[in-house]
Amino acid sequence: MKKRGKFEIMKDILEIVQNNPNIKTTPLLRRSNLSTLRFKQYYGDLLKKGMVLEEEKKGKTVVLTEKGFKFLDKYRTILNFIEEFDL
Amino acid sequence: MPPMHFSGQMMSAGIGTELIYSFVIIVCSLLIYFGTKELYELSKYRGIKYFREAFLFFAIAFFFRSFIKFLLMFFGVTRPHEFGLMHFGAVTLFIFMFAGSMAIFYLLYSMLWKKWRNSKLIYLFYLLAIIISAIVTLSSNTFLILGVFLLLLTFIIAIMVLAHKSSRNKKSNMYVIYILISLFLILNIIDILIPKLLQLYQILIYLISISLFLTIFYKVTKRIG
Repeated sequence: MKKRGKFEIMKDILEIVQNNPNIKTTPLLRRSNLSTLRFKQYYGDLLKKGMVLEEEKKGKTVVLTEKGFKFLDKYRTILNFIEEFDL
Repeated sequence: MPPMHFSGQMMSAGIGTELIYSFVIIVCSLLIYFGTKELYELSKYRGIKYFREAFLFFAIAFFFRSFIKFLLMFFGVTRPHEFGLMHFGAVTLFIFMFAGSMAIFYLLYSMLWKKWRNSKLIYLFYLLAIIISAIVTLSSNTFLILGVFLLLLTFIIAIMVLAHKSSRNKKSNMYVIYILISLFLILNIIDILIPKLLQLYQILIYLISISLFLTIFYKVTKRIG
């Protein structure tokens, strides 16, 4: 199986959140196919970048922010841009 | 007040051509810089950051280039070194040189940063740009100036070819355009510093420079929509 790049992992986590509104962190970790350590790293990064946020609804749930939606929308554009300009 | 000399040798390209030339390149560079803002803000990808910085510096460099051309006309001199060191023309020349060198270095760094993860490398480029700018501003020796740019160009070509060879994306030929943009920026700088050397080819240099910037602008707009 091909190793996923940073942006692909970010996109995968965001897609899981998008397709599962109000998902909790434990099922999100399970579905992301990452080790706990790497998940914490990526999840923390997404929180810091303001792409997801935590809400208190019968426990801590994760929701996608507008920036998260925008990232998913522009994901392919970002990848193609990096590839085209050899960045 | 010094007289205006609108018909000297410096005006081989004409004031209208000079204005249009600078305007097109500055606008292209700024559109690339601001057009890629959203991509950078979403991704925080360092390669995009350095690429954008390169075009911001290109815009600054070409702004000061046209300002120097105006000063040359206004004071009726042929070379910026004739302004004298105490004159603010020297400061303008220093800023032009610094911005031009940094534009090239940021373009280079946008390709290199993945291989040389050391983020302090950019400070070395800043130092190099200051040294190049100081040499060019303080010395009016044609051979020294040409030597500095020949060395710089060799360095850029060698690093960009090596970076491309070790790149995973062998299909991209952007490094050729980056080398050409660097080469033509250097020719633009030489055109300012030693005007007589390239006077015959001035319009050709302008046309190729504009084509290169328009090519990159077209590629950027095609990608970001």
